[in-house]
Amino acid sequence: MKLLRKADDQLRRLLAACSRWALAFRDWYQRPSTIELRGRKLLREWLSPEQLAQYDAHSYFEVTGCHTGKRYRISHAVGANVYELDDAGWPRAGWCFVPNDHLVAGDVMLAQKIALETDERGALAVANNFAPR
Amino acid sequence: MATQIVMDRNGDTRHNFDARDAKALLKAERRFKALTGAGFTAATRTADGEPVVTRTFDPTAEETLFFPRLVGG
Repeated sequence: MKLLRKADDQLRRLLAACSRWALAFRDWYQRPSTIELRGRKLLREWLSPEQLAQYDAHSYFEVTGCHTGKRYRISHAVGANVYELDDAGWPRAGWCFVPNDHLVAGDVMLAQKIALETDERGALAVANNFAPR
Repeated sequence: MATQIVMDRNGDTRHNFDARDAKALLKAERRFKALTGAGFTAATRTADGEPVVTRTFDPTAEETLFFPRLVGG
């Protein structure tokens, strides 16, 4: 009985250690790369104070289209991440347009922001439409 | 010191140059023309921080950002 209790105790300690190790591995594996961090830094430099606060809080920010005045939400991703919002702020349509190169999320989002704020029609002319989830 | 920031697979590449140096300015203008000619969009920011797309080289721009042509995803 004493032996069983000791084995049980050791097994629990082993499981706890494995659990800690697994969490540390997950954090290490999911850490943003240097390139990813550089992209985020550049994005942050170009966001307005309101957009930056929104991005920090929700991992997305909103922009106003320069031609129609419509609001768009740009989420942290490398594609299928631009949503046209209705008057209540709900996604009404999804728009997918991305730079023609493999860029990190921060760069993609910054290019999308500038495009919508300076050439909304041009950006939507090349974009593919998708239904928001 | 002025900067041209080019988005690329490394995140971005920054080219710093002294706008008072004629040789450096010429090099920056050539880079601007080469990038925009290759389909990159060039953008600067106003004093308020609003982005502005620019189609011609501005020797007074402190920071110019270039991103690749946009396509449907």
